[in-house]
Amino acid sequence: MNLQVVGCSHNLANVEVRERLAFPESKVPAFLKSFYDLFPEAEAVLLSTCNRTEFYAASKDKAALPSSTQMVQLLADQSGVGSAEIEDQLFTYLGQDAIKHLFSVTASMDSMVVGETQILSQVKRAYEIATQSHGSISTIHKIFQNAIRVAKRISNETELHSSRVSVPSVAVCDLARQIFETLKGKRVLIIGAGEMAEETLNYIRDEGCRDIVIVNRTESKAQELAAKFDGVVSSWDRLSDELERADLVVGTTGAQQPVVTSEMFAAIEKQRRQASLFVLDLAVPRDFDSQIADCQNVYLYTLDDLQRECDRNRRGRESHFPKAQMIIEQETGLFFDDAVRREGGATIAQLKQQAHEAKEIELQRLKNRLDGISPEHMEQIEVAFHRLTNKILHPPLKSLQTDVTSDKHGGMIEALKKLFQLGD
Amino acid sequence: MDWLNKISVTCFAASYLVVFGVELSRLFWKAKLRPIVRIGFTVAGLFAHTVYMVYQGKLEIDQSGIWLSNWTAWCYAAAWLLAVAYMWFSIRKSRSVVGLFVMPLVLLLVLVGIALGDQNSFTVSEAKTGWSTVHGLSLMFATASVGLGFMFGAIYLMQAKRLEQKKVQSDRFRLPSLEWLHRCGERSLIASAILMGLGFVSGITINMLRQNDVEGPLVAWDSPVIWSSAILFVWLLAVVVINFLYKPAQQGRKVAYLMVSSFLFLLLELVLVWGVGHATGEAHDANAGMQFKTPMVARVTMTQTNTLRPQALQIRSGGQR
Repeated sequence: MNLQVVGCSHNLANVEVRERLAFPESKVPAFLKSFYDLFPEAEAVLLSTCNRTEFYAASKDKAALPSSTQMVQLLADQSGVGSAEIEDQLFTYLGQDAIKHLFSVTASMDSMVVGETQILSQVKRAYEIATQSHGSISTIHKIFQNAIRVAKRISNETELHSSRVSVPSVAVCDLARQIFETLKGKRVLIIGAGEMAEETLNYIRDEGCRDIVIVNRTESKAQELAAKFDGVVSSWDRLSDELERADLVVGTTGAQQPVVTSEMFAAIEKQRRQASLFVLDLAVPRDFDSQIADCQNVYLYTLDDLQRECDRNRRGRESHFPKAQMIIEQETGLFFDDAVRREGGATIAQLKQQAHEAKEIELQRLKNRLDGISPEHMEQIEVAFHRLTNKILHPPLKSLQTDVTSDKHGGMIEALKKLFQLGD
Repeated sequence: MDWLNKISVTCFAASYLVVFGVELSRLFWKAKLRPIVRIGFTVAGLFAHTVYMVYQGKLEIDQSGIWLSNWTAWCYAAAWLLAVAYMWFSIRKSRSVVGLFVMPLVLLLVLVGIALGDQNSFTVSEAKTGWSTVHGLSLMFATASVGLGFMFGAIYLMQAKRLEQKKVQSDRFRLPSLEWLHRCGERSLIASAILMGLGFVSGITINMLRQNDVEGPLVAWDSPVIWSSAILFVWLLAVVVINFLYKPAQQGRKVAYLMVSSFLFLLLELVLVWGVGHATGEAHDANAGMQFKTPMVARVTMTQTNTLRPQALQIRSGGQR
């Protein structure tokens, strides 16, 4: 199994390098085309996400596999950077290590947020693009299909993915569900229109909420965000009115003073008639006066409160890490052994075939020379040839079988291929 | 069908006990097979419970002409209702620990049923059997409903307290959402009020029918059972009315507190009912030593009737004493 990976990730490369080496999905087919122009016998996959760019190359024949330098050069050329600039921030894995790395990446064990589920779909997408770009990628197919299977196994057998670790997901998917049975039919008020607001809105929309109101000092930003999430914009002056009608409020502004003071809330508390209100204060400094939490049926959570929950979930995930790692080790070993066994089997078959063909040629030649020989004698000669061939093949085949079935593969397959001039 | 009479209280009580044990184990460790074991034992318990109830009910009808003819059967029937409710919750809210709150109520009712024994049979004349059944059943459903309401209220208060204190929800002790608890609590409150009202009205109707046999007031207000029942009914009615008319009362923990207090009322009521041997042949009149024969609110003051018309009482009791 010849697999090599060259790439960068959040573990080793800084964000500038990651940004420069990032390939948008639209540019991946062009990258793969240039790869196949240079290495037509090899196969490739390019995985590019915000946290990593990984370039996998595989081949049945070791000689067809590009070297790591060639792969780095191609990456550098296609992304318009000098290879010397990025070389020290790239990693390279070969063979079993490359397989292990791919399994870890797909199972989200190498992710910045361990256990996040997005990476699996990103790997699947990269593999899909590779399939579309080149018809026959049987080696890549075997490796990536296995990587996806291993990721699913880890997901089923461990709780690595079970709890959420990002602040908006914990806030909306965990905490809001403890207050509201569903967000469908609930009125959500978003104060602010920045990145945090957008990220939180993604989860809110996924929970089925369609009644979204956005309030922001700069109304144009609010309009942009509202357009993305089918929400409506309300003016800053109407903040109190909107608070009065909301079930869930998310504060995400960059204001230096609380935008909702206790006096302001006290003024609308009577109109709210003590209806439950879930307040997510995701702003730093805080958008809500902490005294609001003392009001009847108001559940106010700040960024710190949510971060505590995230940390707890993260620790929970980490506790499942050793088990997931054990699965990776086990699956990598099994996959590699299987690949070696298959390769060994193919070499043995080739060797036998080659010996059989040589035997048949020599037998035929002998038959032509020994005209008039009785069929019984001819049969005895054939048996003798057959036994001789088997006796000659027996020691190398036994050594090869011992080699491929042992834990340490000593390169016997390659040696035999070279000795007997066998092709791939 | 000999096997039917081999099913005893122990069969379903043991199943429910196992279910409660399995629910408790949630707090200590995770197990993938837990839902299967839990639902399996609940189904087994409910099956045994249903067979037992049907078989015993048939015997009761053969012997006394009425179903649920004693407090024991009444307790088992109420426990059955709660066990069915548990089954529903364990499917709808499988990850929540609702069962930890329902199963103790089920087991408590079974235990009370065992403790009461089967000597305390209701004694009702043929003419009033229909109304007595309505009376008994509606109060039994009301008890189950108030019990469930208490559970919703108690869990609501726990969940609200936890959220206020920002305590992390443990995976092993998941509670349902406040909205769901509130909605279910409100429904059980309305159902309790309606069923309690039905029980009260049917009790009065029994007394009205009884006016032909026994002299006395329509409602025996001097009986602690009667006035406590009336208070419970008025309380539930008031709660429902206030709930509809006054918006803030609908919100949050107010409903929860109302539900919990309703349950405490109910407990008091049941203690009084069982204490005075209401509706059974065990309650003795202080003056004449006569027995009360009608369920719950239908009891009349016996002081006068026993002394004035002892014959009528003898006839009404159907000679079962």
